[in-house]
Amino acid sequence: MSTPASIWRQHKKLSSYLNKIGRLLVWTKIHVAPSGFEHQTPYLVGIVQFANGEKKPLQIVDCVEENLKINQKVVTVIRKIGKAKSEDVIEYGLKVKPI
Amino acid sequence: MIGIVSYGAYIPKYRIKPSQIAQTWGKEVEDIEKSLGVLEKAVASYDEDAITQAIESANNALLNGQIDPATIGGITIGSESHPYTVKPSSTIVAEILGMGTDYLAADLEFACKAGTAGIQLLSGLISQNKTKYVLAIGSDVAQSRPSDVLEYTASSAAAAFILGKTNTIANIVDFTSFSSDTPDFWRRDTEKFPSHAGRFTGSPAYFAHVLGASNKMLKQTKMNPADFDYAVFHMPNAKFPKEAAKKLGFTPKQLEAGFIVEQIGNPYSASSMVGLAATLDVAKMGDKIFMCSYGSGSGSDAFVFEVTDAIKTHQQMNKQTVAKQIKNKEYIDYSLIARNILTKYRI
Amino acid sequence: MRIKVAGTGLTKFGELWNKDLLDLALEASVEAINDSRLTIHQIDAVFVANMIYGKVSGQDHLGALIASTLGIKGASFRIEGACASGGLAVHLAIQSLLAGTYKNILVVGAEKMTDSSATEIATALMGAGSQDERRAGLTFPALYALMAKAHMQKFGTTRNHMASVAIKNHYHASLNEKAQYPFEISEEKVLESPVISSPFTLFDASPITDGAGAVVLSSDSTAPGVFITGSAVATDTVDLASRKSLLEIAATKEASQKALKQAAVEIKDINVAEVHDCFTIAEILAMEDLGFCPKGMGGEFVYKGHTRLGSKLPINTSGGLKACGHPVAATGVKQIIEIAHQLQKRAGKRQVDNANIGLTHNVGGSGATVVVHVLQI
Repeated sequence: MSTPASIWRQHKKLSSYLNKIGRLLVWTKIHVAPSGFEHQTPYLVGIVQFANGEKKPLQIVDCVEENLKINQKVVTVIRKIGKAKSEDVIEYGLKVKPI
Repeated sequence: MIGIVSYGAYIPKYRIKPSQIAQTWGKEVEDIEKSLGVLEKAVASYDEDAITQAIESANNALLNGQIDPATIGGITIGSESHPYTVKPSSTIVAEILGMGTDYLAADLEFACKAGTAGIQLLSGLISQNKTKYVLAIGSDVAQSRPSDVLEYTASSAAAAFILGKTNTIANIVDFTSFSSDTPDFWRRDTEKFPSHAGRFTGSPAYFAHVLGASNKMLKQTKMNPADFDYAVFHMPNAKFPKEAAKKLGFTPKQLEAGFIVEQIGNPYSASSMVGLAATLDVAKMGDKIFMCSYGSGSGSDAFVFEVTDAIKTHQQMNKQTVAKQIKNKEYIDYSLIARNILTKYRI
Repeated sequence: MRIKVAGTGLTKFGELWNKDLLDLALEASVEAINDSRLTIHQIDAVFVANMIYGKVSGQDHLGALIASTLGIKGASFRIEGACASGGLAVHLAIQSLLAGTYKNILVVGAEKMTDSSATEIATALMGAGSQDERRAGLTFPALYALMAKAHMQKFGTTRNHMASVAIKNHYHASLNEKAQYPFEISEEKVLESPVISSPFTLFDASPITDGAGAVVLSSDSTAPGVFITGSAVATDTVDLASRKSLLEIAATKEASQKALKQAAVEIKDINVAEVHDCFTIAEILAMEDLGFCPKGMGGEFVYKGHTRLGSKLPINTSGGLKACGHPVAATGVKQIIEIAHQLQKRAGKRQVDNANIGLTHNVGGSGATVVVHVLQI
């Protein structure tokens, strides 16, 4: 899945996404997760559009679903991605939280 | 003068009350918050760790000071919950912040004073003109054995301080450190949870070192507690810092601004540092701040800071004050903690 | 083009413990070859469609494995395009026939999914998505749920509209002895089942299935029979967030327009179709994107019964992916078989009266690959 080298390449891209504000176009609450994400259920994932027009699929954290609105303003945060196995390198990545 | 150029703090959103933890374990719930002096503590989410918290606090520090991460030539992260035993947290944080490759990085461990040790060590790079700025972070997702009394207060937070010579918001007037080999609280290399020596953590440990370093600091600077506007001590609970302050001659009023333990618990390496951040959030030009951290094992780092006129600009820039983050909370039950235990310890 | 569907073979779809992938592929292939009245020696090439078998079992090289076991020594290939693998294999076989390289081709789509755990399968299927989607913890139900949410937000499509897709397809499956779930279900069942990814419940999603489907395609168009007269593929971004719009699968429009043009027919001429209902919303989107109804009206269109057996435009008489089952790479081939049988009046209890022009619609991922075929008798 995620090799040390692929995590390394990915981490290099993160600094350019810090403090980016976007709007939440649509989201879903996932109850049945793929492997590595079971400990998070249920969790929210949505599509966020940033000021430059770019759209990304991102997990939404630190929020209560009832308080989310379409076009909700969100900001990028860095969190752990999935659950690394004991011997694996930890992957950090982008998520968003509502502001 | 070398001093703090900018700072940032990060407190996770979730809170749990000691009474809820006590209830989970079938222990006596009555008045537990009162006896600890801790109303609730901050709990990191399942996808947060000492590294993500460090990034948040350092990001705030960079934004508040409008500082280019590439100008930071030294970084330390003090923690007792580094995600790796071998692989520095500091380089992961540096990479994600965009610090490039021109920096010295080192991870520190000294129980709850690992963060402040970094301030003292990195200031050396500044005084030697090795680099314009350095970044000292204290960050912990504090560990305790589930159902142990430590679980009521062990919490999560991070604070980051950028030091430099120019545009300081608070100068480091002086610092000192007091250390000895004292086994009050420890965790062996293959153990999951820390152990502690009960009442031994009091007088010979916390008090001996906090008083030792503080008295040394006052003597060195030829100052008295009354000369200070604020005082911040390491806060493992509400009792110890109040008692140490009293013994030294500081007043409860001086402790107020930085007394975060009641609202967020004890985030270990971030405890005194978040207390310092909370104090700087409200300080005025000319204010003198006394700080003394404590790390088990043991040692205390003491500091005297003097606030400059540049503090006002920082306060205007800072959208994430400690007070704001303390207020931005959501109560949870033990289920998040249970999940964190399961995932962290890979049971 | 006029490519003959010379023979068809289909295994039962379901949880088939006694059969491994090779067993399933061989069963369908032998049936198709026998149905074609050709001999093994007349089969010039074998195009195998499969998505995840290599990942879950460690066995690759399926083209050679299946062809050689059948005793075929000509060309063999494995084709992958996520859930569109079957349709793509048919399309590529057609291109070889049109080029004159081969005369008779066996196309077999097979998938063995039930040996693996549900989590392993969900993870394997996310290979059809993007790296960003995997990092976000997305699953295929979640990706289509996002499209469903957008559709609900924009057009007022309801969960009841979506449930009607599952209900109709289960009714069709109840008439199909090869279907995984040959029984009807109620609206309550769909709406009250556990939520897998809001707003979808378990019954908004196609199941995990073992199965294989095979066709023998021939360039010999002299004798009467069923012919593929249009075959087109279109591509869009793998990453859903990067699409221009969440409200449509643009590649469906592209591919269907091309295929219909090749066949010289219009969408209104189609009287029976198999579309890709991996999730209930997908069938609603297909109705709109293929042009059977206006954009935004797909929910009402299905809910009102306009696509049920007995109506003017029966859709997914096989039971669709939902109720017939979805052995991923086999689906595209199964769709060809179902339409061929409809046109040949071999559909038994599911027979559509006067079906003479049919269409198949096979989608890969959340819409990155779409293959459309037009069949005529």
